[in-house]
Order: sequence, then C-alpha cells, then structure tokens
Amino acid sequence: MKLEFCGIKKSFGEKLVLDGVSFSAESGSAFGLLGRNGAGKTTSIRILMNVFPADGGQILLDGAPIDYKKVGFGYLPEERGLYPKKKIFDQLVYFAELHGMKRQDAASSVDSWLRRLGMAEYRDKRLDTLSKGNQQKIQLITALAHDPDIVILDEPFSGLDPVNARLLKDVVREVIGNGCLVIFSSHQMNYIEEFCDTIAILHGGNVVLSGDLGEIKHSYPRNRLTVRSRELERMRAALPPDVTFEADGDGGSATLTLPSPDRKAELMSALTRSFDIDEIAVKEPSLNDIFVEYAS
Amino acid sequence: MRRFRTILGFELRGYFTNKVFVAVTVVLVVAIAAVLFFPRASALVTDIFGDDAADGTEEGDESEEINRDELPLMLVSAPDDIESTVIDSFSSAFLNYNVKPADTDDVDAIKKSVSDGDAECAFVLGSMTSYTYYSTTNSLFDSNTMVADETLRSLAMVSEMMSAGISPEEAGSILATVIESETVTLGASGDGDLSGGVDFISSLIYTYIMVYALYIVILVYGQMVATSVATEKSSRAMELLVTSTDPVSMMFGKVFAACIAGLTQIAAVFGTALVCFAVNEPWWGDNMVVRSIFDMPLSLLLYMLLFFLLGFLVFAFMFGAIGSTVSKLEELNTASMPVVLIFVVGLMVVVFGMSSGNIDSTVMRVFSYIPFTSPMAMFTRIAMGSVPAYEIAISVAILSVSVFIIGYVSAKIYRIGVLLYGTPPKPSAIIKALRRA
Repeated sequence: MKLEFCGIKKSFGEKLVLDGVSFSAESGSAFGLLGRNGAGKTTSIRILMNVFPADGGQILLDGAPIDYKKVGFGYLPEERGLYPKKKIFDQLVYFAELHGMKRQDAASSVDSWLRRLGMAEYRDKRLDTLSKGNQQKIQLITALAHDPDIVILDEPFSGLDPVNARLLKDVVREVIGNGCLVIFSSHQMNYIEEFCDTIAILHGGNVVLSGDLGEIKHSYPRNRLTVRSRELERMRAALPPDVTFEADGDGGSATLTLPSPDRKAELMSALTRSFDIDEIAVKEPSLNDIFVEYAS
Repeated sequence: MRRFRTILGFELRGYFTNKVFVAVTVVLVVAIAAVLFFPRASALVTDIFGDDAADGTEEGDESEEINRDELPLMLVSAPDDIESTVIDSFSSAFLNYNVKPADTDDVDAIKKSVSDGDAECAFVLGSMTSYTYYSTTNSLFDSNTMVADETLRSLAMVSEMMSAGISPEEAGSILATVIESETVTLGASGDGDLSGGVDFISSLIYTYIMVYALYIVILVYGQMVATSVATEKSSRAMELLVTSTDPVSMMFGKVFAACIAGLTQIAAVFGTALVCFAVNEPWWGDNMVVRSIFDMPLSLLLYMLLFFLLGFLVFAFMFGAIGSTVSKLEELNTASMPVVLIFVVGLMVVVFGMSSGNIDSTVMRVFSYIPFTSPMAMFTRIAMGSVPAYEIAISVAILSVSVFIIGYVSAKIYRIGVLLYGTPPKPSAIIKALRRA
C-alpha cells in the first residue's frame, strides 16, 4: 500500500496553509511528518482523513484516488480527549463501532487491547478516574482497536513515563510489523529517528525536505568525524592545520571537520594508530540538525 | 445509516443511564401518581378516622356537635326581633363556622373578642339590611360578606313578601325558582367536529398544561443537545469523532436521541397520569378542573405529539449548531441566548393570546406560520378555537420543510464549528464559511 500526497493545497479564508504539499509513504514502515507549530501538519492529517476537502491536488492510494469507504484510519490526535464521564469500555466500543466494526467484534478487540496495555482492571471505570498516562493508553486503543489500515499518531509519546513509552514503542513496532502504514507527527526527533524510515518536513505550507531518512543523512557531506578519546588535547596539537577541531559539550569527545571528505579514511587510520581512541566514526547529521536547518 | 444507529444507540444509553434523567423522571411520575391518588387516599384516611370517631361516641348527632365546636367561631349580634332568624340562617349558610349569638350588644367587646382571637370574625347587624363585618384577616378569599349579603337579602325578601300577604311556602318557592340553561359553544373543535365545539374554560386549562409541557420539554432537551455537543468539543473528544464519522450522522444521531428521550419522559409522565386517573376516577367526583384535563380529545394529543416532534427538531438542530460553535461550556449560555429568546417570545405571545381570549388575533395567526413559534401558536389555536384544516396543513408543511432546511444548515455549521477553537465565530464569519462549504 502506497500513499501519495500530490500537490495538496488548502487555505482557510485568506490564509494559505498548504501550498502544494507532496510526499509519499508506504505500508509496513513508519513515516514521519515533521514541521514546526503551524506548519500545516494537522491540516494535512485532517485532509488525509477527509475531515475537510483539499482546495487542490489529490491523495492517491496505490495509484488511485483514495476510497474512504474502503480504507480504515486510526487516529491519535495531539489534543487528547474522550468522554471523561463515561465508562472506558463503553466509549472504546463506541469508537470502534463508529469505524465500522460490529458490536461483538469491537467488544472483543477492545478487551484484548485493554489486556495488551495492562488496562483490563480499568475496563468499567470512568475515564476521568485515570491518571494522564493511563488515559493516553486508552486513547491509543481508540486509534488501534478497529484494526485500521493507516494509523496516524500525533505526538504519541508526550506525557508517557519511560515504562509506558517502551510499551508504546513495542505496540507501534507490532503495528508496523502487521503491515500498517504508520504516520508519525512529533517534535521529539529521537522517536522519529528511531521509528521512521521516511520523513517529510513541512515549512510554510510546503514540503522542504522529504525522502528516505538514511539517504537524506547520507547525502550530507561526509567530511566530519566524531572522536571519543582520553587524549583529545594531545590529538588537537598534532592535527594538520586544515582540520578544524571542536570539543563537544561533555569534554570526552570532539568533532573534526576536514576541508573535503577525500582524506577522511587516511586521517581515521592515522589517528587510530597514534592515539588511544575509544571510538571514531564518520559523523552524520542528526534529524534534529536537519530539522533545524530546514524548518527555521 | 449504521453510524447513525450507533450514535443514536450510544446517546440513548447516555440518557437512560444518566442518574439525573432517571431520577427526574421517577420523581415526576411519583409526584403525578401521588396527586392523582390523593383523593382516594384521603377518603381512605377519613373513613378510618370517621370509624374511630363513630366508635368513640354513641350518637352521630353528638359527634356532629363536637365537630361543630371545633370549627372557628363566628359571632353574630342582631336586634332581638330578628336575632334567632338570622342565627338560624347564618348557621345553615356558614357551614364552616360555629355560628353563635354574641353574649353582649357592646360592639367594643365583640371587636375585642375578634382581635384577641377568641372568635375568628363577627357580624354586627343594625337591621336586617345593614351590618358591620369584623375580621382580623382581609384576605382575597374571604367570601363571608358575599354569603352574608345573599343570606340577608333572602331573609329581607321573605319578610317583605310575608308582609305583603304571601305565605312562607309561596315565598320559599318564589325564591327557589330555578333557571334552566345550557351553553353551546359553536365552532370547530380540534378534529373538525362542528357539533360539539370546544368549551373555552376547560380547553384553556389543558392547553396551558400542554403548551407549557411543549415549552419545557423542547427547551430542556434542546439545551441538552447543545450541552452534549459543547461537552464533546471542550473535552476534545470531537477531534476523534470528526475523523470517525460524518457530521450529519453525528448531528442527527444526537438530536433524535434527545427527541426519543424527551418523548419517553413525556410518555412516562402523561401515561402515569392517564392510568392513575383512570384508576381513581370515581374519587375525583365532579372536580371539573381535573376532569376537563383528562377529557381532552385524543386528536389534540396527536397534534401535541406532531408539534412536539417538529418543533423539537427545529430547535434541537439549532441548539446543536450553537453547541458546535463554542469552545467551552461556559460560553454556551450566551451563545444560545438568541434562540432561547425567540422561543420565550413565542411562549409569551401564545400565553397572552390564550388569556386575552382572542386566540385568532393577527399576531397569533402570523406566529402560527413562523416555524419557531408555530408549534405553540398553532397548537393553541387548534386546541382552543376553530382553525380550518388547510391552515393547519400549511403550518405543518412550513414546519416540516423548515426542519429539513434547518437540519441541513445546522449540520454544515456543525461541520465547520466543531473544529474551531478560541473565540466563538461571529455570525457573519459562519455565513461566509457556509457559502464556501
């Protein structure tokens, strides 16, 4: 299953929010939709889910315009919220039914998800009696219980403690492994880096960067080395004059920048021979660096 | 359609498991039953009490004497020649008083015993045709002087007639002349039956009850729809709902659920009333007020149902649309003010029309075609007067078409409104957005 955004345009009143957004994502992998606040991520997601129509462009699924009757969406909105005064089980079944499930199927799916996330004991409790993290797990079930084809997770990790974050990671991996197309939207770049094979960065209503994350990183000039060693000061004195030395914040490592990537193998072997090196590698830009570069 | 049913089911479960909803319904049903069982229960209590009294005393007369002494004391002072006649007449006229001749002719002493509370009131007669009435209360409901006037007038007439040579028996029969009369109200009743007509007073009572029932139920359930939408929006459940289903199903599911809940409550209350009245009918005897309510024609109940349904849908859709434009529940009251005002004005006009007696005035006629006021106005005109069938048909047709138009526009506003947060949009902004949608 391949999802393609082709030149999607949308404006609200006078304000142009999306100006020809194009990107593509495939099932069985996770796609990261990045952008600063107000870049148009939520608008793109809402257009994808047919909450409102685009002014121009189209969304294709496997090459054909998307048929909303056939594709199931699961959505974890950034603004969390369900019915605080209603029983958890009842509202979860309700949402699964709204997505087209039969009542019995919905009930058994909800029960198995409640068990999977360790929430079975809260089945008949009211939502507002739960802690914030647990409410978030309940909200996650609304996105997954109806076995959707495309899952959209907007800031899924915010507000979770490390144990729950790990549980969520396992669940997300499982969902991806089941052949789902998962779309991530987050400001927490480390999670995107961990999960997403492809990304798109939205800025000012346009996609300023998109593609395979590994390739994007690889496309950056590979003229920087990161070195961890106890002999950094001695190394600094011995470096050729055209190599820039920059100590990192922790004091135990440094970044060396060469004028061109050609000599990096030579320099790496020379350094390994002459000094006691704990670690040396070609430094790739982090997603954070890339994001800051493109979205500011 | 399936989503509509899912939403309808979910919302209905919400109503029927809502403790407040259930409690209010139960309280209303119990209260109605209690009122309608009251005469039977009080008769039962009196029976038991009465039996006890009879057991305790050997002669019925004596118990009457005792009872008579327990009544409030009314002192009567009159010139000696007429005193015994007046006392006898007053005793039979004032059954709720223990009528006694005053011990003294001293007016001050009589006034004192009234003001001290020894006697509740006193009549001091100067002659058969003039008296002074003393009482500590001057309540609106004190009809003693009217009764006294009537009694004294009869006495005076009898004595005049006797002095003119007419025997007491003849005088009595002259005074007892009965006028036989029958009132026939002509005009169409609700079902177009020209023969019977509608009795204004009795129809006034049940029309009042039903118009207020329409008003309360439409307003309460309409507000419930608005609150339910606004709650979903403020709790952000809306974010998920708009991506799970279409706004038309959501709006219609909610509105119809509220409608069914309202009908259930009406059916419970009115049903209890009908059953309890049927069970207790003999005990209500000739209480005209209560009888007139339950003698209301069936056709009128059906009209009530029709106008409730259509009127409710018009207002519930508007309330739903309003609920979707606010971000917080606190803003709901201000936002729904215009709609509530329209409705209140409708009620006021109808109530004024009813009490003035002119239910076919121009204002009422106009209001019975405007979709926001016609449920109450047209219903009142049908219930209390004669409305040609074509007028009813036109009114119902306008109302039905309005339901569809308002439902359609409301669903559009809803679709736009549910995703707007922050300050509620101005009406002009909504209209602009509607044109684009």
